[in-house]
Amino acid sequence: MNAFATDMTAEPDGVPETAHSEELLRVDNVSLSFGGVKAITDISFDILKGEIRAIIGPNGAGKTSMLNVINGFYHPQEGTITWRGKERRKMKPYEAASQGIARTFQNVALFKGMTTLDNIMSGRSLKMHRNFFWQVIWRGPAEREEIEHRRKVEDIIDFLEIQAIRKTPVGRLPYGLQKRVELGRALAMEPDLLLLDEPMAGMNLEEKEDMSRFILDVNQEFGTTIALIEHDMGVVMDLSDRVVVLDYGKKIADGPPEEVQANQNVIDAYLGVSH
Amino acid sequence: MLYDIFIDPFVQMYEMPDFFLQVLWEGFVAGILYALIALGFVLIFKASGVFNFAQGIMVVFAGLTLVGLNENGVPAYLALALTIAAMGILAYGVERVVMRPLVNQPDIILLMATIGLTYFLIGFGEFVFGGEPKQMITEELGLPTGSTAIEFGERGLVILQHIDIAAAVIAVLMVAALGIFFNKTRIGRALRAVADDHQAALSVGISLNQIWAIVWFAAGLVALATGIMWGARSDVSFALEIVAFKALPVLILGGFTSIPGAIVGGLIIGFGEKIGELYWGGLVGGGIESWLAYIIALIFLLFRPQGLFGERIIERV
Amino acid sequence: MFYREAGQFKTSYKADQALMPILQDRVGLLVILAVAFVVIPVFANDFFLTSIMIPFLVFSLAAIGLNVLTGFCGQLSLGTGAFMGVGAYAAYKLTSIFPDANVILMVLLSGVFSAAIGAVFGLPSLRIKGLYLAVTTLAAQFFLEWCFIRIPWLYNYNASGAIEIPHREAFGVVVSGAEATPIVRYFIVLGITALIAYLMANVLRGRIGRSWMMIRDMDIAAELMGIRPLQTKLMAFAVSSYICGVAGAMMVFFWLNAAEPSSYSISLSFQILFMVILGGLGSLSGAFMGAAFIWILPVFLKFIPGTIGINVAAETVEHITFMIVGALIIFFLIVEPHGFARLWQIAKQKLRVWPFPY
Repeated sequence: MNAFATDMTAEPDGVPETAHSEELLRVDNVSLSFGGVKAITDISFDILKGEIRAIIGPNGAGKTSMLNVINGFYHPQEGTITWRGKERRKMKPYEAASQGIARTFQNVALFKGMTTLDNIMSGRSLKMHRNFFWQVIWRGPAEREEIEHRRKVEDIIDFLEIQAIRKTPVGRLPYGLQKRVELGRALAMEPDLLLLDEPMAGMNLEEKEDMSRFILDVNQEFGTTIALIEHDMGVVMDLSDRVVVLDYGKKIADGPPEEVQANQNVIDAYLGVSH
Repeated sequence: MLYDIFIDPFVQMYEMPDFFLQVLWEGFVAGILYALIALGFVLIFKASGVFNFAQGIMVVFAGLTLVGLNENGVPAYLALALTIAAMGILAYGVERVVMRPLVNQPDIILLMATIGLTYFLIGFGEFVFGGEPKQMITEELGLPTGSTAIEFGERGLVILQHIDIAAAVIAVLMVAALGIFFNKTRIGRALRAVADDHQAALSVGISLNQIWAIVWFAAGLVALATGIMWGARSDVSFALEIVAFKALPVLILGGFTSIPGAIVGGLIIGFGEKIGELYWGGLVGGGIESWLAYIIALIFLLFRPQGLFGERIIERV
Repeated sequence: MFYREAGQFKTSYKADQALMPILQDRVGLLVILAVAFVVIPVFANDFFLTSIMIPFLVFSLAAIGLNVLTGFCGQLSLGTGAFMGVGAYAAYKLTSIFPDANVILMVLLSGVFSAAIGAVFGLPSLRIKGLYLAVTTLAAQFFLEWCFIRIPWLYNYNASGAIEIPHREAFGVVVSGAEATPIVRYFIVLGITALIAYLMANVLRGRIGRSWMMIRDMDIAAELMGIRPLQTKLMAFAVSSYICGVAGAMMVFFWLNAAEPSSYSISLSFQILFMVILGGLGSLSGAFMGAAFIWILPVFLKFIPGTIGINVAAETVEHITFMIVGALIIFFLIVEPHGFARLWQIAKQKLRVWPFPY
């Protein structure tokens, strides 16, 4: 779980290919519905340790719902989720977080009233333990703990190159920077699995390039496993190791980018076919 | 003890059905009046998303203006017309001075502004008409007085105040009128559009300011009707303000935007309160009417956080 | 020109995350403390202490309490008055049961009871949000008020139904009861308020304060980041009610000397809520500014007619005060919905570049 702290100093050349064989998470036959509406139907796939896994599909295909299932926000009616080889029981989102699943959101879900620094510090919440008593006193343990975590957070701020907006309330930042702060907040949790919900939505080309580089760096330098949803096919094909394609809540393809790109079902789903 | 709580009240209900019916009637009337106050809230909340705390004080203010004008020698019906005009001016003023500058502020700020308005109206009302309670001019307005007793053969009798019957009839008529206004007229449609989305409504050429003024005026009329009815039952005083808080549990039961919800919620609270007070209140020393409504609403909320008529909330991220 | 942080470099995270990283702010705070602890006691008369300073401090503390819940954790509460009442009645019972114990300690302890009751009424907050939560706190308000009236044990079966604060001494001085001097009361109230304000500043800048703000700003995201919503909210309810409870106890022990259930009515709740909103949600200094405005302005208004030589009935003055306060509330909400704290920030920003704004 302390991937970030340790891997900061680890070999920078990336994770050896062998790491890609170990299974981190798998979903089996998961179905989810709201009332009568089926959001996800019988989907199975796995995420291997150290890979970048893309989930793509047209709007309303159930991609975000899938992420919500993975981090415990929605509870599927059917199917199982296996996390690190153990079948996961029904859990609350904060339990998923404490097991090492972090995430960013499609519509930026930053804490608007707080500064960039505080937002990223909030990602450290799970790792800070001084209780109310020490917090009240502040001097001593609570302050030391705060400084210790501040150091880690400053590393992330340096990594994402957002030093200049450290003390700016995030509500005032432009959209692209907000997305970056949100990534920083998720990184502060030192997750094993990082879920990115359209990290590049609404960005211009330059911002997309920056963001792609950050994602690759996170994956290669810290060895963080990443599952991402993205609409920009160029980005998806470049970044991801494997792609799963959803349409109308069903899985229609799964495999390496080139393979998926050539798949007839996928082409039909995106371009539409005459029935 | 358990007997007192679980059995005795029901035995009483069975043995003295006339008393029980009387209690139900009292609850019904109280419920109608709560519903009327809640109706004013709903109108404004529907159109502007503002939780109008001043609705309670608007009731008092309307009643005071009516009685105050009459005391100063204005004939009853002219006073009524003038009061309606006053509510119109109030609506215009509120829209111009409070609502318009505060467009797009968070809910709590708007709520605060209406509490500020409450303070202002209390001060203004007392300043102009004095702080002491006044008698409602029921007869002058041609409203029925007196009461009818209905007998049940051997089992006793129930007394119905005529003014209460009138209140019920007027409430029904008002709800019907509002229903038609909302669903059948052009302004009603614009109003629903505004309720859905301010900006989208603006973009298709609906004037928010006009709609808000209309809604506040409508709420003012509802307040006037409520003030007359309530004043006729007790008197017109600022003590009524505390009753207005009861509108909150009513709204929570019925949903903040549903007119039928306000009526049903009002009735549930009215019945629940009266029955609870008269059959169970004595066990803990009485006076539980002051908080029972909130507890009823709270229990409902715990099981249905979306209210009686609200749709199930699906949280999204 | 004078308010500028240029040249003040931080060389450690410790210095950077201090409560007041800018030198001028620290000096300003020292000046305020010096005035509060030295200048006012030396120069102020009894009237000023009893009618202005003591209530102002009590209300400031209550506003800090509500601010923790509403301003920092985002849970609207209309039950502040009742939670203050719990503190008052608890302190009264404590000092009746333990007449020899230090009454200041009892006042501080009384908050524990209001914290417990606050936490109980905070339980529904897991399922109920926003305006809907207001009904929970309203239930608390009216239910507790009813308890203050209907449970005679709470006011020691007094015929008047009110609590009357007995004569108590601490550290060899009379601190409560009719004989306590205003200056002693002032120092106690000032000390407690300043201490709690400082301790809360600590809590709010650390992990716990952040977790409250996370819940306030985006509860779903907070939960997905490992914040347990129920625990966090309950803690906010408890801490907030503790502070309100202490404020309520101070209100009767060191200011009013006697209190009835109606002293802790819904209008007190609203008064405190106004202080918080006008001062600025989520700002400790705002709580003081809001309290000053809401408490001192009406006192001030009362004296205007007399000073300028117009003879107006006391009632009329009160009515006009109501109107003015109501109008000013709306006015300030329109001018700056984020309260005095934000106005002060903007002023500081202007000062920074003064006199050459471009």
